[in-house]
Amino acid sequence: MKPFIHINALTVAEAVAALAAYDGRARLNAGGTDLMGLLKDEFLPEYPQAVINIKNVAGLDYIREEQGMLQIGALTRLSDIASSPLLRERYGALAEAAQAVASPQIRNVATLAGNLCQDVRCCYYRYPRHIGGPISCARKGNGPCLAVKGDNRNHAILEGRKCFAVCPSDTAVALALFDGQLLVAGSAGERRIAVRDFYTPLGNQLGKDELVREIELPAITASTRQTFHKFTLRKPIDFAVVSVATLITVVDGVCSDARIALGAVAPGVVRAAAAEEFLRGRTIDPASAARAGELALAGARPLSKNAYKIEIAKTLLKRALLGHPPAKPSQGIVHDKCPHVKTK
Amino acid sequence: MAEVYRFIGKPTRRKDAVEVVTGTTQYLDDIRFPDLLHGKVLRSPHPHAIIKKIDKSRAEQLPGVKAILTWQDVPDWKGGTPRVVRILDRKVRYVGDAVALVAATSAQIAKEALGLIDVEYELLPAVFDVEEVMKPGAPQLYDELPGNIVTPGTPAFGHSCLTEVVMGDVEQGFREAEVISEGTFGYENIPNPIPPEPPGAVAIWEEPNRVTLWVSNQASYLDKILLFHVFGKKVEVRTHGAACGGSFGTKLMSWQVQTYATLLSRATGRPVKIIFSKEEHIAAFVLRPGSRMQARVGMKKDGTVTAVSGTWLVDTGYYSATTQAQVAVGCGEIQLMTRCANWDLKTAIICTNRNASGSVRGFGGQELKCSFIPVLCLAMEKLDIDPVDFIKKNYVKPGDGYFWRDGLWYTYRGIDYSDAMDQGAMRFGWREKWQGWLKPSSVDGSKRRGVGVGVHGNADIGEDSSEAWVRLNPDGSALLYSCITEHGTGQRSNYVKMVAEVLQLPMERVTVTPADSLINPFEYGPFGSRGTYAIGSAAIAAAEDARRQLLELVAPRLDAKPEELETVDGVVFVRDSPERKIKWGAIGYDRTVMGYGRFDPDFTLANCMITFVEVEVDTETGKVDLLQVVNTTDVGQIIDPPGLEGQLNGCLGSSGIDSALFEETILDHSSGHILNANMIDYKWRTFSELPPIDNIVLETPVASHRFKAIGVGEVATSPGPMAVLMAVSNALGVWLHEYPVTPERVLKALGKLPAMTRTGGAQ
Amino acid sequence: MATAIKKKKSLVKNLVRFSVNGTAVELEIGTLPHQVETAHTLAHTLRETLGLVGTKVTCDNGACGSCTVLMDGKAVLSCMTLTVECQGRSITTIEGLADPETGRLDPLQQSFIDHTAFQCGFCTPGMIMSAKALLADNPSPTEADVKEALSGNFCRCISHYQVLRAVMATAQGGE
Ligand SMILES: Cc1cc2nc3c(=O)[nH]c(=O)nc-3n(C[C@H](O)[C@H](O)[C@H](O)COP(=O)(O)OP(=O)(O)OC[C@H]3O[C@@H](n4cnc5c(N)ncnc54)[C@H](O)[C@@H]3O)c2cc1C
Ligand code: SF4
Ligand code: FES
Ligand code: FES
Repeated sequence: MKPFIHINALTVAEAVAALAAYDGRARLNAGGTDLMGLLKDEFLPEYPQAVINIKNVAGLDYIREEQGMLQIGALTRLSDIASSPLLRERYGALAEAAQAVASPQIRNVATLAGNLCQDVRCCYYRYPRHIGGPISCARKGNGPCLAVKGDNRNHAILEGRKCFAVCPSDTAVALALFDGQLLVAGSAGERRIAVRDFYTPLGNQLGKDELVREIELPAITASTRQTFHKFTLRKPIDFAVVSVATLITVVDGVCSDARIALGAVAPGVVRAAAAEEFLRGRTIDPASAARAGELALAGARPLSKNAYKIEIAKTLLKRALLGHPPAKPSQGIVHDKCPHVKTK
Repeated sequence: MAEVYRFIGKPTRRKDAVEVVTGTTQYLDDIRFPDLLHGKVLRSPHPHAIIKKIDKSRAEQLPGVKAILTWQDVPDWKGGTPRVVRILDRKVRYVGDAVALVAATSAQIAKEALGLIDVEYELLPAVFDVEEVMKPGAPQLYDELPGNIVTPGTPAFGHSCLTEVVMGDVEQGFREAEVISEGTFGYENIPNPIPPEPPGAVAIWEEPNRVTLWVSNQASYLDKILLFHVFGKKVEVRTHGAACGGSFGTKLMSWQVQTYATLLSRATGRPVKIIFSKEEHIAAFVLRPGSRMQARVGMKKDGTVTAVSGTWLVDTGYYSATTQAQVAVGCGEIQLMTRCANWDLKTAIICTNRNASGSVRGFGGQELKCSFIPVLCLAMEKLDIDPVDFIKKNYVKPGDGYFWRDGLWYTYRGIDYSDAMDQGAMRFGWREKWQGWLKPSSVDGSKRRGVGVGVHGNADIGEDSSEAWVRLNPDGSALLYSCITEHGTGQRSNYVKMVAEVLQLPMERVTVTPADSLINPFEYGPFGSRGTYAIGSAAIAAAEDARRQLLELVAPRLDAKPEELETVDGVVFVRDSPERKIKWGAIGYDRTVMGYGRFDPDFTLANCMITFVEVEVDTETGKVDLLQVVNTTDVGQIIDPPGLEGQLNGCLGSSGIDSALFEETILDHSSGHILNANMIDYKWRTFSELPPIDNIVLETPVASHRFKAIGVGEVATSPGPMAVLMAVSNALGVWLHEYPVTPERVLKALGKLPAMTRTGGAQ
Repeated sequence: MATAIKKKKSLVKNLVRFSVNGTAVELEIGTLPHQVETAHTLAHTLRETLGLVGTKVTCDNGACGSCTVLMDGKAVLSCMTLTVECQGRSITTIEGLADPETGRLDPLQQSFIDHTAFQCGFCTPGMIMSAKALLADNPSPTEADVKEALSGNFCRCISHYQVLRAVMATAQGGE
């Protein structure tokens, strides 16, 4: 990696001050699992001057309930989120989403805020500098979006404009489901941003001097059914081709509340409002689940190579609503039946 | 039934086991060199361009930079087959092509210097499709290769190198056929075997004309010979093969990185190390060749193939090194699996503006069959022939003949694999699961299962020459001289095992020399599946020769004839009166005994691998899961059971079975960029996705060498991909002919994708 | 503002201290050859500065697990960790598994040998470290636990089946 100035921030204020001082030319380093890729591949037009280590900022690693709200510190690791009994019980979709990220080693250091603020995975955008790259495109402020005419198998089918890279974060999908809010600290003080609104066509809402301090979720009534389904070609490591999170409350066999969040289909997380609305007051059966899928994807306008995502999204949603367990990796080997060379 | 040996056939500890598990194995990047410089390669952003101007002055001023080489600074050394590829050229031919080389005191400085080299390009049109590139008016990659057609044949295989299969009378054959199928199919996803350790080399140049190289390679001695020719036969080359962190065939082609290191060392007078990054490894090192075949097949109801005609187009990327060899071997292999009297199969190797293809496990045959078997399947479907019956009927049998890679006709004298095929089919449950063509073996809602089978075999198990020496020491130990790198197959230990068996010495007392071309005799290298038979034969012969000399030496001391003697554990004794014995030390402390062994090519034996797969396809998402794999083969005699198991389990990775499921190199056909040159986007199989694998290995003694064994490791990857395609087609009831079977392709085949898609940008 | 921060930074002593395989390591931060640069990864420092080349780098980008080491007992990727951020940490590498006194191999290493749980061996140190982290946490894992714990470790040779047996055998107290 090219050299950079390294700053150890010990408080949120220090980190904010450093961000402000470098005016967009510094990067926060939380778990570093996304940032290192950016630094190593040098795919951005400008290399950061400074890296601000926030690992040692005290008091940002917690999962707690306060006045009915669930609060998660920005530096809370994904492995802790995935294994938290509180989250497993009440915010299962979030625990599942965290568990679905990357690999065990990455989850051991990756943070929730880092997961939300990670950069997109578009293959043009990330093309590494050292094999003739990097490639300029609309997101880098230079030229058209190359994915439109190129390989867009992983790109947006909904809401794309200018840039069709999808939001890569798995946890964002679950957080949007719970109407989560980000508590953001900056030079001008703190503000809140809904996870649903966090992502913009070319990035996110954070200002140059802002960082995410906490993620806050409203209380969830006990009797909801939650799911997180993530479709990938293989598990783990892969980013979602499509992910779907659902939260369903059923009273007397009738759906009283339905929330549906779709991931990896758009630059941000998509809440399927029409499908949610449709399900309220209905019984969930194969027909209504399929209809919900149609409604959720009604606005989809695929690019040349990603129409398949529509089918997958519909199917995932239908299955989630019908309570099918998420697809597990194909595997069947049992230890004592491990293959041995067999001879006649 | 196989014989019982002291070591052969038993699981024995790999000689390098302790080093491997303690992290002390010395792979290339682990070896320390004093005064070392680090090299980096500036790579082209364009798929096809002329370098108009290079200005390296800014880069040269960077402290720590010791040399910068461009096409103007290097000798006119050339590689490739034919030799048309300059080490650095005025023209770049793919995104990633080498433009300049930098040596600096650290890798970081070298990398920084790359960014300071200013290059002006004149862009040329680029082509990425084999058929486009042959059209009149298409851009030309090399003046020497008109029409972008690479000169057929490789001098390595002699003047009559196989470039086509032509025999009998195809017209007559088609007249005899009850069904004729035809089509054009491809295996064009150019998967990459991506061994974990990237390619690299360290070179130390000594004036005026000597270079010593440490290389992550598969065939150390071959590198020496290859480079000698690349360097215009004017440089003395010595190669050290370090422990190799995987190759799968690809590191037979690490000549470029070796020449880079050599040139930089020559320019700086210091040792220079170049190790590719993983991104370079994927985007600027060896891929599988692209394969497209237009074929026509005539078949009878009983599965007799009456005629095969067609054209096999091989996309070799921006140059060819081993592709002619792969075509030759592929042409041989197609005959092994298709007994047919009438052939008219033509081939052409074509250059395109993408990263080069090269040697990969499956060497030509996998690529050819992945494109050819779909045509056979169409005929089998029409005639309702069970593919297992077809394979059994058509796989080479003793007495059958074929043209092999040197263009000569050979008569097969190996074993009949029908028994292995039956055993495999039984273990897999083929008869129960096979419901006929395009019929699923079971359906459960949106989940449909299907089965498929593939076959591959190769007569290269006895290809090329090997030499070995075995030195017996008076202390009762032995040293095998063989220029073999350990690249994961465990073969270095297996040769030790063979020598130990011949000499009846504990394996701990037998060692093998490092893969240093200076001290070892000639060795082609452990590739194809030649290790067990070809290299093994040389090692065995050397051990036998040494043993004979030893017995002759000590016979007088025991008052016996050499034929009456045995040796076990470093003691020689008279067979019939073992109390008359003497230690090896009796030859004197001032003497060693050196045996020599040589193997000359033999193309009359072939191995065979059959792979059965069962898949489950989710018709709503298009996801294909591999549920079960059964590999079946016959190796004559197992040398090392766990090592063999590892080789067979390897069927999944290294662009084997998974090249039909999710492995592919994604090339942007407008810009020439490889878009997934990293290990997140290039998919590989994880621990979470392991299907059960059953390996059925028979041991029918083969007339190879003393241990009646043949190798099979290389071909494990090859039958799987076509079996997957067959299985998915059967599961769905419609043909899928493209690799890999992505959800998009599955859903498209099922008619589930809307025709209309958005093409515009911002709306 | 930027200068203020730089000033503050220069007050901090330019050293990073952590332990590797039980031995305290103190490294200067700077740009001289013997120093650690801010941009150096732990994998780089282990291999190039400390000479512990048992830790392997395959992808150098977080995807393959070859560079796995233990940090305070947890499996982490040394290629994605900045050395300057290892202050106060305790790192264990493959070189730290065998008994330093007797040289006796860790049972897991022995089991890898006994099961020939490797082919080219390049992924093996990372595999062993991931498995080590699992067993420290969960001494009697199920096969599914082992697969999950190793799911971030790439092996191109497909030694997975033999690795599974090796780890399970160790977990069950050896064979
Ligand atoms: C092999 C691999 C596979 C992956 N797979 C997945 C996957 O399946 N799903 C998925 O969601 N992700 C995946 N990722 C992406 C990513 O590494 C993880 O999502 C991780 O959670 C990022 O967290 P981190 O703490 O390591 O982030 P960092 O790398 O530290 O930070 C990421 C970005 O966010 C910024 N940032 C960090 N903290 C804050 C903060 N508090 N406020 C504001 N900005 C901040 C950083 O400056 C940086 O730009 C994968 C990464 C790799 C390398
Ligand atoms: S999708 Fe976005 S990041 Fe990718 S090429 Fe288009 S503009 Fe660039
Ligand atoms: S080398 Fe660190 S994860 Fe691949
Ligand atoms: S043993 Fe070769 S990669 Fe795992």
